[in-house]
Amino acid sequence: MAGRHAHLRGLARAIHEISGLSRGLSVENLLDISSLFLQQLVNGITLGGVYALIAVGYTMVYGVIQLINFAHGEIYMLGAFLAYTQVTLLRLPFFVAFLTTLLICAVFGVILDYVAYRPLRTAPRLAALITAIGMSIFLQNLALLLWGSQIKSYPRDILPRLFFKPALTMGEVSLSWLQVFILSITVIFMLILHLIIHKTKVGMAMRAVSQDKVTSALMGIGVNRVISFTFAIGSAMGGMAGILVGLYYNAIFPTMGYIAGVKAFAAAVLGGIGSVPGAMLGGGVLGIAEVLGAGYLSSAYRDGISYAVMILVIIFKPSGLIGQILGEKV
Amino acid sequence: MISKISPRWKLAAIFVFALVLPWLPLGSSTNYFLRVINTAILYMILALGLNIVPGFTGLLDLGYVGFYGIGAYTAGLLTIHYNLSFWMILPLAALNGAMWGILLGAPTLRLTGDYFAIVTFGFSELVVLVIRNELWLTRGPMGLPGIAPPVIFGHPLKLEWEFYYLVLLLLMLVMLVASRLEDSRLGRAWFAIREDEIAAQCCGINLIRYKIIAFAISASIGAMGGAFFARWFKFIHPDMFKFWESILILCLIVFGGMGSITGTMLGALILIPLAEILRAVLPQGMFNARYLIYGLILVLMMRWRPAGIIPFDRAQESKAARMRQRLTALGSKE
Repeated sequence: MAGRHAHLRGLARAIHEISGLSRGLSVENLLDISSLFLQQLVNGITLGGVYALIAVGYTMVYGVIQLINFAHGEIYMLGAFLAYTQVTLLRLPFFVAFLTTLLICAVFGVILDYVAYRPLRTAPRLAALITAIGMSIFLQNLALLLWGSQIKSYPRDILPRLFFKPALTMGEVSLSWLQVFILSITVIFMLILHLIIHKTKVGMAMRAVSQDKVTSALMGIGVNRVISFTFAIGSAMGGMAGILVGLYYNAIFPTMGYIAGVKAFAAAVLGGIGSVPGAMLGGGVLGIAEVLGAGYLSSAYRDGISYAVMILVIIFKPSGLIGQILGEKV
Repeated sequence: MISKISPRWKLAAIFVFALVLPWLPLGSSTNYFLRVINTAILYMILALGLNIVPGFTGLLDLGYVGFYGIGAYTAGLLTIHYNLSFWMILPLAALNGAMWGILLGAPTLRLTGDYFAIVTFGFSELVVLVIRNELWLTRGPMGLPGIAPPVIFGHPLKLEWEFYYLVLLLLMLVMLVASRLEDSRLGRAWFAIREDEIAAQCCGINLIRYKIIAFAISASIGAMGGAFFARWFKFIHPDMFKFWESILILCLIVFGGMGSITGTMLGALILIPLAEILRAVLPQGMFNARYLIYGLILVLMMRWRPAGIIPFDRAQESKAARMRQRLTALGSKE
C-alpha cells in the first residue's frame, strides 16, 4: 500500500535526522560514541513520552472495561490531522488548534464508545474485540479518503522560531526546545491525570468501576458515565500525542495510527496494563529501546524491536513492570 | 420448497455445478471470471483455516496472514531452489506453518484472549519485516518472481481452468477436514472452550493443549493456501502478506458467520467477487479505501448479526449463547 511506503520514507527521514547515523559507528573516538549514545537517549526519551501519552488511553480503557481499544491509535492519527486542517485550512493559531483538537478527540472518544462498544458490553469479549478492530480499520480508511495518502507536515511557521533551536547543548548532544516542549507537556498532563485519578471524585469512581462494575453501580456510581469520562480523557491524550508526533517527525499520514497504536499498546503492556505510571515507564523504556535498537542494531527492524519487546514481555512477564495480572473472573 | 430437498442432494447439485463451472458459455470474459472464482476459492480455504481459531475456539487471531506468508515463501523458495513437486511442497508448507503455529502458540495461548490477539498481530508484522529485510533468503522487496506452476502427470498447469480444478480439490480436502473436525471430540472440546473456558476446564478439558492444536491446524491450512497461491500466482512479494489480509479474511468469516463452515465459505464467495466489482467501479486511488467497507462490516455484523449474514446450522447453539448472554446481563458480574 502506498501509505506504508510513505510511512517508511518518513521513518527513514526521521531516523536519519535524529540518530546521526551518517556519522556512523566507525568513529573510534570514545567521546563521540558516548555523545552519540546520549543523543540517542534524549531522542528515545522524547519518543517514549509520546508513546506514554498514547499508552495511557489504552491502559485506562482496559482498566475500566477490559477491552483493547484498537481504534485508539486512529484517534491519535485523527488528532494529528484535525490540528493540521485547523492550522492550514482554517488558519487558526497553533495553540487554539491544539486545544480544540483535544476537545474534539475527547468528544470523539465518547461517541466511539457510545456507538460501537456500549451495545456490546454484555456480549462475548471476542465480539467487542472484533468491533474495535473494525472501527480502527474504518477510521483509518476514512482518513485516507478525507486527507489522501500523501505525507502531510505542519507548516514551520505555526510555532515560534525558538522551538527549533537547541535549548541545551553539551558537546555533540543537543536538546531542542521542541523536545523540551513535548517532554514538559507529557509530564504536566501525566501529573494532571494522576491527580484526577487519585484526588477527585470521578477518579475514585473510575478506580471503583475498574475493580467491579456491578458493585460500583450498586454504590450509586453511574458506570456508563465513568466509562465515557475515561474514553474522553484517554482520547484527548491520544489526540495530543498525535499533534506532538506530527510536530516532532514533521510527518502525518493515515497509517501512522496503526503502527504507533501497537507500539503504545506494547508500552502499556510493558508497564503493566491498567496502570498509569506503568504506561509512562513502559513508554519511556520502549522509546529508548526503539531508538537505541534502530541506531545500533538495525534500522530496518525499528518497528520489529517494539513488536519483539511486546511479545517477549507478554510471554515472560504478562503483568508488566508494574501492575498485577488479574485472573479471568467467572 | 428448497428446504424439502435433502441436504445430500443439495450438496450433489452444488458439486456438479462446481464441476461444470469453467465450461459455462461466458465468451471472452471466461478467463477473468475464472481468475476471480479461483481467488474466491483460495480465500474460502483461508477462511476455513482461520475459522478454526476465532470461530471454533473463540480466540481472536490477527496474525493469520503470517502463516499464509510463511506457506507462500516456503513453497516459493523450495520450488525455485530445489524444484520440488507441488505434492511434496503442500505437506511441507503445512508442516512449516504448523511448526510456527506451535512455537508461537505454546507460550502465548496461556494468556487471555486479548493478549493473544495482539501477540498474533505482532507476529505477522514480524514475518513481513523478516521477509522484507532478509534479502539473502527472500530477495526482500524485489519479491520472488518466476515460481514454476504445479506439474500434474507431466503437464505443467497453465490455464485458469486447470488451476480451478486444483484449487477446488484443495477446497474439498480442507472442507472435509474442517467438517470432520467440527463433529469430532476435538471440535466439541473447542466449542466448550469457546462457550466458557472455565466450565470447559472444570469438565477436564486441557485448555492449552486444545488451543494449541486449533492454532496449529489453522496455521497449517493457512500455509497450504499460501503454497497454492505461490505456485498459482508465480510471484510473491512481502506486501501481499500484510496485516490487511488478516483483516480481510477475518471479515469474510464474520460476514458469513463465525463458527459455521457453510457461512464462512459463503462469506468468501460473496465478498471476494464484490472486491473485484469495487476494483472496477471505484476510481484508481480509491480502491484501497475498500477496507472502509470491511471495517464497517466487522462493526455492523458484531452489533446486529453476530451469527453471520444468514445464520446457518448451529442455530440451536447460538440460541443457547444468547440465553447465556441474557443471564450474564441480568445477574452475575463480568
